[in-house]
Amino acid sequence: MRSVDDLADDERFAAAIAALGAGPVRTRRFLEGFDPVTAWEALAAGRHPGDPDRHYQSKARPALLESVGACCTRNGVAVRLFGRPGYPATLAGDHEAPGVLFTLGDPSVLDTSPRVAIVGTRSATPYGLSVASELGRGLAEAGVVVVSGLARGIDSAAHAGALAVAGGSAPVAVLGTAPDAAVHRAEAQLKQAIAEKGAVLSERAPGSSGTPVWCFAVRNRMLAALAHVVVVVECHRKGGSLNTVKAASDRGVTVAAVPGSVRSSASAGCNALLVDGATPVRDVQDVLAAVELAITGLPGIVPPRTPPRASPDRAAAARAPSPMAARTLRALDHDPASLDTVVRRCALPLADVAEALEQLAAAGLATGSGGWWSRSNR
Amino acid sequence: MLASIPSATLHGVDGRAVSVEVHVSGGLPGFTVVGLPDAAVRESRDRVRAALSSSGLEWPRHRITVNLAPSGTRKGGSGLDLPIAVGVLVPDGSLPRACVEDTACIGELGLDGSLRSVPGIVPMVAALRCSRVVVPAECVSDARLVGGHEVRAAASLGGLVHALRGEGPWAEARSVDTERAVLPLIPDLADVRGQTVGRRALEVAAAGGHHLLLVGPPGSGKTMLAHRLPGLLPPLGQDEALEVTRIHSAAGIALVGGALAERPPFRAPHHSATEVSLIGGGTAWLRPGEISLAHGGVLFLDELGEFPAVALDMLRQPLEEGVVRIRRARRAVDLPARFLLVGAMNPCPCGEGSVPGACRCTDAARARYARRLSAPLLDRFDLALSLGRPDVDDLLGGPRGESSASVAERVRFTRVIAATRGVRCNAEIAPESLDEFAPLSPDAAALLERRLRAGALSARGLHRVRRVARTLGDLDGTGELIGARQMVEALHLRDAGCTRPAGSSS
Repeated sequence: MRSVDDLADDERFAAAIAALGAGPVRTRRFLEGFDPVTAWEALAAGRHPGDPDRHYQSKARPALLESVGACCTRNGVAVRLFGRPGYPATLAGDHEAPGVLFTLGDPSVLDTSPRVAIVGTRSATPYGLSVASELGRGLAEAGVVVVSGLARGIDSAAHAGALAVAGGSAPVAVLGTAPDAAVHRAEAQLKQAIAEKGAVLSERAPGSSGTPVWCFAVRNRMLAALAHVVVVVECHRKGGSLNTVKAASDRGVTVAAVPGSVRSSASAGCNALLVDGATPVRDVQDVLAAVELAITGLPGIVPPRTPPRASPDRAAAARAPSPMAARTLRALDHDPASLDTVVRRCALPLADVAEALEQLAAAGLATGSGGWWSRSNR
Repeated sequence: MLASIPSATLHGVDGRAVSVEVHVSGGLPGFTVVGLPDAAVRESRDRVRAALSSSGLEWPRHRITVNLAPSGTRKGGSGLDLPIAVGVLVPDGSLPRACVEDTACIGELGLDGSLRSVPGIVPMVAALRCSRVVVPAECVSDARLVGGHEVRAAASLGGLVHALRGEGPWAEARSVDTERAVLPLIPDLADVRGQTVGRRALEVAAAGGHHLLLVGPPGSGKTMLAHRLPGLLPPLGQDEALEVTRIHSAAGIALVGGALAERPPFRAPHHSATEVSLIGGGTAWLRPGEISLAHGGVLFLDELGEFPAVALDMLRQPLEEGVVRIRRARRAVDLPARFLLVGAMNPCPCGEGSVPGACRCTDAARARYARRLSAPLLDRFDLALSLGRPDVDDLLGGPRGESSASVAERVRFTRVIAATRGVRCNAEIAPESLDEFAPLSPDAAALLERRLRAGALSARGLHRVRRVARTLGDLDGTGELIGARQMVEALHLRDAGCTRPAGSSS
């Protein structure tokens, strides 16, 4: 692997051009057909690189060149240029491929493995989180690269699931923010772990301050471009994941969705996708079947290892610890219910229900947070 | 040529005796008031002069000096009009000195010589040491609550002078308006359908005096429950009633039926309330704030998340100590503020945040909302409940719930048990007495240890949860030892407070 300590000249200049804050299309146009150094000089002189007669006001200053280069070196961020060696071949084939790509870790895994994007809402239910983490784990075991956006909720759960598998496939995160952007601790740890085992991709230059909303929308098209199958785990009726779905269907990428309760607003988007003909996903086998279909005829992709289907009666293993607990468990659902609702369904005094819930939680049969209770998934 | 008339002014919720000294001497006619009068007292010069001439009394054509003793403290309020007027009449012989012997006066004068009521009659009369007190006719019933004084009514300055001279009758005490005399109806708990857990929490809050936080989407019945809390609380005891009456009188709130407050007060300020209006203070005299007005009763803060964060954090110390110590450069006052705090709020700006997966707020909006309540304040709620929308069947066809009266009976019984522990209610049990009054069974102790080790409970939270478990034990009559059953229920009744209301999760 090449060292990132010494950026080549053209990489330095390309990184600085990406840091000007222009959109992905314009950034690519700046670089298309020119040497980055020439392009930068034109921009610094207030000209458009593609048309020397045209004035183009930009923030191209020597100080920016210095700071972006230093930022890349300091954070170990590699700069990959479209059309040069080191740029992921998978992405290079896309019609909206970014001109400059900033990466942490090693993205070469993208070119040889089957890839599944797991996307979904940030305000997920316990059901969605556990499904996302289960899918992430199963796919990593099967040697499928889990691609996701590292957002709160579904994205993080999928990655955490994939990372939990020792010797599993490498996960890939595609960020809307800069690769060095400040995030809170849990997210930073996850990003670190992903960079060590797989790769973190972003088209936003290190050191960029703030992240406009459009950055997440253009990130979503990269997710779609990288995946063989896009799985939506939980999504609201007008959720941002539908953005990714649209980009995927534009590219002919298979879209799959996990069904949810028709009363859960967090599953409304998924259920609507299923009605529109998305592939239903119950477990990792369903995803793997879709992956195998998608990669048929693609050379150089190692097909996933399909594990045997798990025994269907998981519920039989779950034994309520007491009759009271059994009654309470029957009153619980996979949709979270308020304590009041559980008490009403059980028709027992609060103290009895509270005791039963405590037992169920200890036995891993129920989970509660902030006074809302649901069944655990196992 | 000197007269001295006793009177009083307000300082916080206490009265301060003031001696109004009037000196009439030769020289150019003039009228000065000294002894740190505030604007209202300085203006009384003009009111007194007009009232005297309207009443057909002669204004002495001499030099008049009024001193308000002790002269070092600032005096405010219009209640000093009457003693100044009476004092002016004594030196020149319009009113024989013997007629005003041992008589205090409080009241505001109108330009026509009529007398008007002033706030704070109860504490001011209580501060007086003389045997006879003259107050405006509307204030007689308030003044008589104090006891120990011969209270005389006066309707006008002219009438008062006649009565003092013994030439005419004293004015009749004017009874309070009828609409004031009607006690406001407290809504009954029977109207609340469903909400088993909410009702239970309300009962526990009333029985143990535990602060209660209700979190839920709009329309989940938070406000409805809170408004029914006063109906569950026992009536005020004699001492408490006097204290509450004193505070309300000082704030100028009409006393219901002119009698001692019997019911615990219920205060529900709007969330635009300023810090001073909540805590107390102000420029004219240190006025009691909402937390003092709720003393002995309930302070209900609806839409808790919309209150200014600074104002909410100011509640922390009074919540712990039951008194608010207001300090200003020149004045200092300790106001009683032992109240039961009930907060109600939405889990996030869109209101749906407590149902996992239903909230559509942005992260930034939720984080902003969560920051409104500091963790130390959240920690002070003994009971924190996440309410869902009530079930449709319950709303339409459900049976009526238990009535306030029968719940109040259990509450009263629990308070009697608490009294045997030397406290008014279980929430006041000192941390060091918890082992004595709320001993833990091994199961309960193990449960608490698990929560503590998991970081789901703070040291303060530990004490609070034990007190709630004590109240649950008293309500259910399960004896001295706290079992796992009470402990689990107590923990579940504060579940919504352990996790911050949406936002800061990973």
